[in-house]
Amino acid sequence: MPEIYAGIDVGSLCTKVVILDAGRNVLSSHILRSGGHYQGAAEAAFSGALESAGLRIKEISFLVSTGYGRARVTFSDTHVTEITCHARGAKHLFPHVHTVIDIGGQDSKVIYVNDEGRPKNFVMNDKCAAGTGRFLEVMAGALEVSLQEMAELSFHAQGESEVSNMCTVFAESEVISLLAQGTEKADIAAAIFRSIARRITGLVGKLGLKEPVVMTGGVAKNPGMVRALEEKLRTTLLIPPEPQIMGAYGAALIAAEQSD
Amino acid sequence: MEQTLNQIFNLVTDPYTGIAAWKERLQKKVVGCMPMHLPEELVHAAGLQPVVLWRSNEPVTLGHAHVYTFNCGLTRSVVDDAVKGKLAVLDGIITYDLCLQARELPFIINRNAPPAYLETVYIPGPVTAPVYKDFLLENFRNLKASLEKFSGQTMTQDALRQSIALYNRQRGLLRQLYALRRQTPGLIRAKEMLAIVQSGMLMPKEEHIPLLENLIAELPKRTVSSGKKARVVLSGCMCQTPRFDLLDLIEEEGMAVIDDEIYVGGRYFFHDVAETGDPLEALAERYLNRTIPCPTKVDWTNHWGDYLVDWVGQQKAQGVVTLLVKFCPPHLCYYPDVKKRLANANIPEVMLEVEHEVVSLEQVRTRLQAFVEEIR
Repeated sequence: MPEIYAGIDVGSLCTKVVILDAGRNVLSSHILRSGGHYQGAAEAAFSGALESAGLRIKEISFLVSTGYGRARVTFSDTHVTEITCHARGAKHLFPHVHTVIDIGGQDSKVIYVNDEGRPKNFVMNDKCAAGTGRFLEVMAGALEVSLQEMAELSFHAQGESEVSNMCTVFAESEVISLLAQGTEKADIAAAIFRSIARRITGLVGKLGLKEPVVMTGGVAKNPGMVRALEEKLRTTLLIPPEPQIMGAYGAALIAAEQSD
Repeated sequence: MEQTLNQIFNLVTDPYTGIAAWKERLQKKVVGCMPMHLPEELVHAAGLQPVVLWRSNEPVTLGHAHVYTFNCGLTRSVVDDAVKGKLAVLDGIITYDLCLQARELPFIINRNAPPAYLETVYIPGPVTAPVYKDFLLENFRNLKASLEKFSGQTMTQDALRQSIALYNRQRGLLRQLYALRRQTPGLIRAKEMLAIVQSGMLMPKEEHIPLLENLIAELPKRTVSSGKKARVVLSGCMCQTPRFDLLDLIEEEGMAVIDDEIYVGGRYFFHDVAETGDPLEALAERYLNRTIPCPTKVDWTNHWGDYLVDWVGQQKAQGVVTLLVKFCPPHLCYYPDVKKRLANANIPEVMLEVEHEVVSLEQVRTRLQAFVEEIR
């Protein structure tokens, strides 16, 4: 029976699953909202990925869980942090990568990858959700637009509004205040992305920017955020085809290595 | 042994009840000392019982009317305890110019909850020029006179020598415990070791010594799991005890703390006081000649980062876990330099903030697990 490997990334907002064949090719992937029950989300996402690949659970040779709820995945063989997994996934797709910026639902991380492809240093955001996917969702809610619409809006910004508060609650008040002043939504959207870009640039500064830089995590799917970050960091970000599953992809790659 | 450890944990988790109990029994006046550099021996030799001020285990509430929310947990907690009346168990408090936040303390305490005795001492920072010794000795003499007045007891040189000998004995026993842990990592859990050290700050040394002797005799009989752990050392954490749940996480994530240079730890007993010559001068010399660098009282010729690099090498540690007290300006000031020197020496390091309030432990867990994945 050919070896099949799986990675499950139980994030604070979404749970992602990737299934690989022996040649490290992606057989299937699945993404769903984690909700408040990590174990249930992991089971549902895993079932979804298995079904897409036409596989049964007993055909999985090795399963690695990662992400915020990694320890809640009782059916995994081992669990590894998302820091190592994102680095591993990014390294596989971009062999020369030195910096990985992962902006997920609740955490943002900057990971330095050495020449051998091992994560050698990392920084994470402090306890709060500022500068994360959750922050963007709250801001989109305040603007009453979808995340995609917020990104499109930001490309039409004319003015130079600023959102200075990095606390999600205060920043939301600031956005509402700007709306009350009659500031264009496009300008506010651009300001929100710039404010996150400033914060991530601060994290990058702690490690020092070493190119090439890969951006992973669900927030990398937002072109408004990517542009703001590229402008602030003055670099081009390499984005995987599906950045949100990079943690699960890295976990599956580690599963393959562990099984070797 | 378990009974001894229970006694220790009861005292450090509720110092108020514990101190009141032995104070009642011994009928001694109790004086709270600001942590780090005050010579407790002087207080002891005056017939008083020194304790080291501690961080409470409850949220700061009333205290925030008197102290900034961006002060460190210890200063906020001490003010909070003072205005809540919880420090009534102390007959006196001695503060000194440890940092900017500590300088405010005597004024706040004096205005809102003055104890029977409140004294402020000045301890010089740079320690390389002779003038600092004169200044320090002058302050120690003033403190001695002030303590004598409060206790109504003249402090003889012999009494001070005896106190110094007692404190040296206790320090020596703590060193023995640390040596046991270095020999067998995992033998003593990180939180147990810190609780053991802190309990000695909260009770008479005369009563702490038998507890230490019991632990030194009994602890080696423990069985230690043979699982492979990453060897790490703890650095920093000035003035206060880190949260025990943070220490548990470090061990749960596959690390063994083999040594530390934190205040409620290795720093507390690092230097003995000479038992020959003038005892007051000996106390001053201990402070002036200390070799373990401290960000609160800096000797510019002795870099903390370089010291750590050497020490980590001696310990054969795989990494350093820095415990940085949130809103501790001295540590925050020196941390970037320390981090850089460790990085230049290829020593992996991770920094955890020590907060008075509840922290998001799962995020800390991710950082610790990633650190272990990095250093293994």
